[in-house]
Amino acid sequence: MHRVMLGAVALLAASVLAAQVSAYEGVDVANGGSVSGEVKYQGDPPAPAKIAVTKDNEVCGKEKESPDLIVGADKGIANVVVRISNIQKGKKLAPAATPPVFDQKGCEYSPHVLAFPAGSTVQILNSDGILHNVHTTSTANPSFNQAQPKFKKTIEAKIEKPEMPIKVQCDAHGWMHAWWVSEDHPYYAVTDAKGAFKIADVPPGDYELEFWHETLGKQTQKVSVKAKEDAKVNVQMTKK
Amino acid sequence: MARRDNEIDEEKKSRSVLFLLSAIALLVTGIWAVWNDNISRRPWKLFQYEFRNLEYERAQGALAAEQARLEADPQYQDLQKQLVAARQSLTEGETARQIADRQAQLAALEKRLAVVDLDLRFVKSELEEAWYQLDHAREFNQPEEPRRARIDKLEAHRVETKKAYDDLTHQKEQLENEVKELQAGVKTLEDKVVEVAAERTKLEQKVEGMVVLHLGPIKMLQVPRIEQTVIEEYDRNAYKQPVARVDRCVSCHTGIDKPGFEDQPNPFRTHPDREHLLAMHPPDKFGCTPCHDGQGASVNSVAQAHGDVPFWEFPLLRGEKVQARCNKCHMDVADISHTDHIAAGQKLFENLGCTGCHLVEGLEDLPKVGPYLRRIGAKVDPSWLTRWVTNPHQFRPSTKMPNFLFTPEQGTAVAAYLLKASAKESEEWLAQYPEPTGVDPKSAALVARGREITEQIGCKGCHAFAPGEHGPRLGAGTDEVVNVATTSAGDGAAPYDGVVPAAAHEGAQPPEGTQLRSSKDIAPNLASVAEKTNRRWIFHWLKNPRHFSPVSRMPSLRLADEEAAAVTSYLLTLGAPKPEPAERLAALGRPETIADGEKLVRKYGCAGCHDIPGMENESRIGVELSTFGGKTVEELFFGDRYDIPRTWDDWTLNKIRTPRTYATERIEQVMPQFDLPDDDIKELKVFLTSRSEHVVPVKYRYKPNDAVQKQIVDGERLITKYNCTGCHQIEGKGGFIRAFYQDNLTLAPPAFFGEGAKVQPDWLFGFLKSPVSIRPWLKLRMPTFNLSDEDAKTLVDYFTARARNEAPFVYVDTGAIAPETIAAAKQLMSPDYFNCFSCHVQGDKNPEGPPEGWAPNLAMAKHRLNPDWIVQWIHDPQKLSPGTKMPSFYPGGPDDIFGGDEEKQIRAIRDYLMVLGTPAADRVGTQVAQGAGGAKAQTAH
Repeated sequence: MHRVMLGAVALLAASVLAAQVSAYEGVDVANGGSVSGEVKYQGDPPAPAKIAVTKDNEVCGKEKESPDLIVGADKGIANVVVRISNIQKGKKLAPAATPPVFDQKGCEYSPHVLAFPAGSTVQILNSDGILHNVHTTSTANPSFNQAQPKFKKTIEAKIEKPEMPIKVQCDAHGWMHAWWVSEDHPYYAVTDAKGAFKIADVPPGDYELEFWHETLGKQTQKVSVKAKEDAKVNVQMTKK
Repeated sequence: MARRDNEIDEEKKSRSVLFLLSAIALLVTGIWAVWNDNISRRPWKLFQYEFRNLEYERAQGALAAEQARLEADPQYQDLQKQLVAARQSLTEGETARQIADRQAQLAALEKRLAVVDLDLRFVKSELEEAWYQLDHAREFNQPEEPRRARIDKLEAHRVETKKAYDDLTHQKEQLENEVKELQAGVKTLEDKVVEVAAERTKLEQKVEGMVVLHLGPIKMLQVPRIEQTVIEEYDRNAYKQPVARVDRCVSCHTGIDKPGFEDQPNPFRTHPDREHLLAMHPPDKFGCTPCHDGQGASVNSVAQAHGDVPFWEFPLLRGEKVQARCNKCHMDVADISHTDHIAAGQKLFENLGCTGCHLVEGLEDLPKVGPYLRRIGAKVDPSWLTRWVTNPHQFRPSTKMPNFLFTPEQGTAVAAYLLKASAKESEEWLAQYPEPTGVDPKSAALVARGREITEQIGCKGCHAFAPGEHGPRLGAGTDEVVNVATTSAGDGAAPYDGVVPAAAHEGAQPPEGTQLRSSKDIAPNLASVAEKTNRRWIFHWLKNPRHFSPVSRMPSLRLADEEAAAVTSYLLTLGAPKPEPAERLAALGRPETIADGEKLVRKYGCAGCHDIPGMENESRIGVELSTFGGKTVEELFFGDRYDIPRTWDDWTLNKIRTPRTYATERIEQVMPQFDLPDDDIKELKVFLTSRSEHVVPVKYRYKPNDAVQKQIVDGERLITKYNCTGCHQIEGKGGFIRAFYQDNLTLAPPAFFGEGAKVQPDWLFGFLKSPVSIRPWLKLRMPTFNLSDEDAKTLVDYFTARARNEAPFVYVDTGAIAPETIAAAKQLMSPDYFNCFSCHVQGDKNPEGPPEGWAPNLAMAKHRLNPDWIVQWIHDPQKLSPGTKMPSFYPGGPDDIFGGDEEKQIRAIRDYLMVLGTPAADRVGTQVAQGAGGAKAQTAH
């Protein structure tokens, strides 16, 4: 018990420390380089899992492919969060010109992984016109569970603090889930359908690049960024 | 002659040396007497003196820090500069010139004003005179005219003079205002400085207030004095007359009720959690010793004051024992803060079965904690029974059953008696409950199915299934493996010579020469259950435990026959029967063995915990413990244990660790060995300390005879007995099984916060008696406990009491609900709006999709839920049950119903739920629920 307490205290101390260390400072970046690359599946990707839809079929359809793991042509993995995990200083974190949009369409969340600067107000759309609910499980931010009935076309959710990942799910449609990533610096990206990503305006230096995927887990890779050059980082991820 | 000579000699002698010595001795004695009287015999004076100095230093320190802060504060500095500049501007420069100019004008003005003022006063006097003369003339019939003419003239003069006076006064005021305005900057600044430096002023006053006398550079602080609290009528004297108790503890512990000394050593330290504990128990009313014990009136020495002297019955309570007095005033120690140790101690004491042998006031009528043995012959394997009786901890270290340290022969004898005594009732049971069909421990599929059921329906809320694993436990102590020093007697009475790290122990069996001290499981670990019992018994027990034991705590899980068969098959794979040698088994039938066994069962008081045929009228065999906490060392028997320090604590610790350690050649002891970890013993000691004779007068107790407290105490006891908290988290405590559902807590059993405010008492009563499925997505089953009406009512009262729901009566006139309200609610709940039935079951209409996506049947709401609670729930479900699947619909209701009035919308839904499933014709004055009291009626409008 005492040991558990001690552990908890240490953990707390560590997280406080970490929070202090990672305090990000916004400056002007003149000679930034960039990091780009592709995330590919190592080995043969499993066939996409099927979800039998047994509710609201007229809107949701009869069957869906699970968004848990989407491997495209050329084995590129979509929806991998790529971020520089240890950056202290870089371009200012500007709020997005248009707020991040999160839609519920065909009983699927779009995008499946949504990354945005902390402090953003997410515009949550309900294109389906049936009852959905948006239920987040957060630790740094308050969790919420907001119903979005047919007559509510848009609701808003402000995410104040950086946190990753925040799971979003719909309790009315058990298969619907998505992930939000709220960042306190602008050096992050989500891979596209081909598994490609690009992070621009990075001040020259050595960094740690973190790759996170909901079912494949987390891995890191060191990267050296030189002024006005593009550093290529290609990684492979697979089921453990 | 000689005599005379002698006298002369005496006179000639000098006694100066003697006088000098005597004078010195007198002086020294005098000094010593003053010193001794004021210092040596008054240690509290030095403590108090030291504290006052400390307090003074602290206050000075705080003042200096505030001073430094102000000096570093740019605002203060800026103000000071502005003030200096402003003051300077009043003595030189333009402003100064203007002020001087105004003041010169003022001086001239005042001179003129004085003249006018005097003139005015004269005129007024002359007027008075003139009026008198007029009156006089009238009286004596003299001509009025000249006098009236004088009055008119004077009046004209007065008006003129008054006007001049007013003008001058006005001019003066104006000039004065101008001067003030010119000086105003300084005044505002001065006020601001005072405001910014308010804290410093306060500290200065505090520091100054501490000094009672200034003698040049020497400052004298408060002279130490006895600080005492008189607690009226707290004790009773030898004649049972109420007498006051006097506590002088604060004479040394001067800082106990002063914040800011938390970092100091005693006696200067601030009381821990002072803001809460001392606010609830003001020291000027309760003193100190009612909670802490000690010898409150004594101030002569620390040892005396703390009561650490021979023959003082209540020495200072230290460490966790400080909680041992809470229960003198608070009945419900399980429900308040700072009482974790005494609450845990009481829980252990009651549930380990201590009351089976020891009488304790207030705990006389607790049910027996051990299993029902009237049909034991039908349940257990005889070989296992002999081993179990000989040493239960060998088979299951976490069992509540203590080790009676029997020899194998004694164990066999006890088993022989139990089997014989239960033979008749066992056979009757067997005749009624035949061998089950469909049980096959060799069928992998069946075993896997059985195992799956045990993991799904909630068995793990109570039971562990692997060696060394724990289910929910009675105590919080961690398992300890200890070395047992072997003695020649080898009877387990030996002291433990040291604790071996728990890591040395991997399975259930402790290594050779050691003993596992384990916190006790609430329900048995089933790791080797097949060694103990048989398929027939397991099957029927699973189907309904009450058929075998009418007093069992084990509930029925409402298993279908094939489910029970699968679980039985699985359990039969856990362990295997181990037959004892034939000669031992043969001894079980011998009449002399049985007779020996009967004697042992009586002597060791087995009937204290078990219902045994033929032992219905046995009395408790242990000593009464109602006042054990007040026993002095002189009253405790240490036997041959000269190595144990002579204190109550050491005696009790060793007694519970090794209960027969004080036995001697002449004195036998029979208390069995519980093998509890020291942490649990510590809690038990706190509870035992609390058993003392002193009764606190009613006026000092917390809500004496309060029904709610009693309801909470009784309810907590049942909740422990039936282990409700194995599955449910109740008001933030318990929920053991939730550990298995960390990935998805919505699949765990519901947690209860304010359940008594949520559900209707009638419904809860019925549900507890006969549970029905409310949450179709749960695989777990709320078991049927076959509660008696009394037990079910106790639990309903408990929840009502915990929710502080003082008027649980609810009345809804469903006939009076307007049709448009129902129409609006129906519209709100329809697919175009909230679409409630997308998830909620409605009567016998299930929603689409798999059951794990469903939500409770809303047709149940009218009987189950408190209408007020429904309103709060719809307002903010996450607030009442964080993490619930139910989303928030409000704020954000539709604008086209009731003109967007959300409160009205929510009430409409609530009203509709009260009639959902009731035909319109039947909606008249429904009395939805009736709880105790029924004082408050309430309608749903």
